[in-house]
Amino acid sequence: MSDESPTRTDGAGETARPGPTTGQSLFRRVNVGRWLFRAGVGTVFVFLLAPVVVVAVTSFGDSITPSFPPAEFSTRWYESFLESSRWQRAARNSLIAAVGTTVLATVAGTTAALGVSNLSARAEGAVLGLAVLPLLVPGVVLGSSLLVFLGEFGLQQSYLAVIAAHSLWATPLAFSVVRASLSRFDPRLREAALDLGASPTRAFVEVVAPNIRSGLLAAALIAFVVSLQEFVMTLFVSGRDTRTIPVLAWNELRNTLDPVVSVVSTLLVLVVVLAVIIGTLVVGIERLAADT
Amino acid sequence: MSDVDTASGTDRVRAALQAASGSISRTRLLLIPLLLFDLLVFVVPMGYLLRISFAKRSVGGGALQKGTWSFDGYQYLLDSSVVGTVFRWTLLFGVVATLLAVAIGTLYAYAAWRASGTTRTILLAGVVMSMFTTLVVKLFAARLMLSPEGAVNDTLLATGVLDGRLLLVNNEIGVLIGQLYIVLPYTVLAVYSVLTGLDEGLVEAANDLGATPVRAIREVVLPHAVPGMAVGGIIAFAWSAGAFAAPLLLGSASERTVAIEVQNLLGQFNYPGAAALAVVLTTVVLVVLALGIAWLRRRGGLRDV
Repeated sequence: MSDESPTRTDGAGETARPGPTTGQSLFRRVNVGRWLFRAGVGTVFVFLLAPVVVVAVTSFGDSITPSFPPAEFSTRWYESFLESSRWQRAARNSLIAAVGTTVLATVAGTTAALGVSNLSARAEGAVLGLAVLPLLVPGVVLGSSLLVFLGEFGLQQSYLAVIAAHSLWATPLAFSVVRASLSRFDPRLREAALDLGASPTRAFVEVVAPNIRSGLLAAALIAFVVSLQEFVMTLFVSGRDTRTIPVLAWNELRNTLDPVVSVVSTLLVLVVVLAVIIGTLVVGIERLAADT
Repeated sequence: MSDVDTASGTDRVRAALQAASGSISRTRLLLIPLLLFDLLVFVVPMGYLLRISFAKRSVGGGALQKGTWSFDGYQYLLDSSVVGTVFRWTLLFGVVATLLAVAIGTLYAYAAWRASGTTRTILLAGVVMSMFTTLVVKLFAARLMLSPEGAVNDTLLATGVLDGRLLLVNNEIGVLIGQLYIVLPYTVLAVYSVLTGLDEGLVEAANDLGATPVRAIREVVLPHAVPGMAVGGIIAFAWSAGAFAAPLLLGSASERTVAIEVQNLLGQFNYPGAAALAVVLTTVVLVVLALGIAWLRRRGGLRDV
């Protein structure tokens, strides 16, 4: 029963055990396959995380044009970031948009997740479809539609436009996270509270919410991070005064390779790392990964 | 049973029914924020875009002539020499990016699912981190790494895999890699989330019954993963057919997509043309997705998507 790999790190681990009828050649073939598989997965993992490493390292470079790896290290671009009013404005705009999106998406997503529970299967499907549909429409199309529509009311380039655009993406995700969380909640607890005379609001606050607290927090975190990173729609609906960090970074990249972009990207990644850590501590990475 | 008891019994039943129906209609009210939001920010603006696609182009200043009806926008698309080419390239790109994302994503999700403890956490954290990193950062880093003097070329040269530098940016390869950065995390998580519902013991049982690892994956894991692969594929295709940032930053003029063309037309204040192109793009994407889902359903691979 003993396996030569003490820690099973991938799919083929357990399967490499030679059966009574299989000889050494199959064992070796499986072994080679397992290492190929591991190398492939490792490559994808490096591929996924490489950008984070690259921007973090280049942000400490010294040259005018960012290069990887940098020839010399310095913190001068961090100083330029702290002195730049444009970047600080963008950081403030990102924060305003993220907070607004978190509130809007979490409220709309949570209420809807509670609301669909009593619907017929068909009606529930219709609501789900409507909620998810914006995710399947290209960002440029959504951005254009918001630009021309809100333009009719002079609302393009406003914070409202940016928050609305970000919520188009954040709301379905918040909805699905809270719904997954509710599916683990025993509805009889809520019924018991109602039978004991609690109002529906009180039943939600005192019985339902504490039980799905981690789901609510995960939904809020996801909405916050989705807003921080959204770019395509924001490019269309934001203006000089409301543009967020990704949009300003994009504009800079289109002109020259400004090293401050690396600095800002690193700081943005740090915020996201923080959010992921909080999320992991609260609900666990496996549920964070499975519910979104 | 006395009359009094019966009366109070029916009263109780009526009261309970009223409470139940009251609570059901009140629960329905909870849908209002979402429905109102989607109506105001999605349905009506998309409807407005559709309306604009049928407006007359403005000759002087302004982007369109309000209140007019015409096929100017669609006619412009038909007359344009580039739109057809751009459309073909975009759809082909969407299909290739989707197939790659689903294949790589499924393998990675399977690895994360079979791994245990720390390895699983690390593999999943890598995906979640990547998903939550803004695409501008990912594409910027990709350009730095893939450029002729970048880290990827340096490594390949140093290890002797190559004897000349590869061109990995300003061409299709760069755009494809950039797009994978955007969609791969979503395909991984879509597959992973359905695999969590599968009992790992089944794979081991298949192995114990003499199935090779490949056969165990094909006959036990894959059928279960299909709904997740479908969801991942749907997202990957919708976003790749609408690709905008990756082709702009990592491609050249010959990798122009429909989405880039929409932005160009908006920039030229040809609103009816831009709106018509956006409407056609959205329709094509949704029709392809609907056909794909119908095909999977008919093959019995999908229970609920």
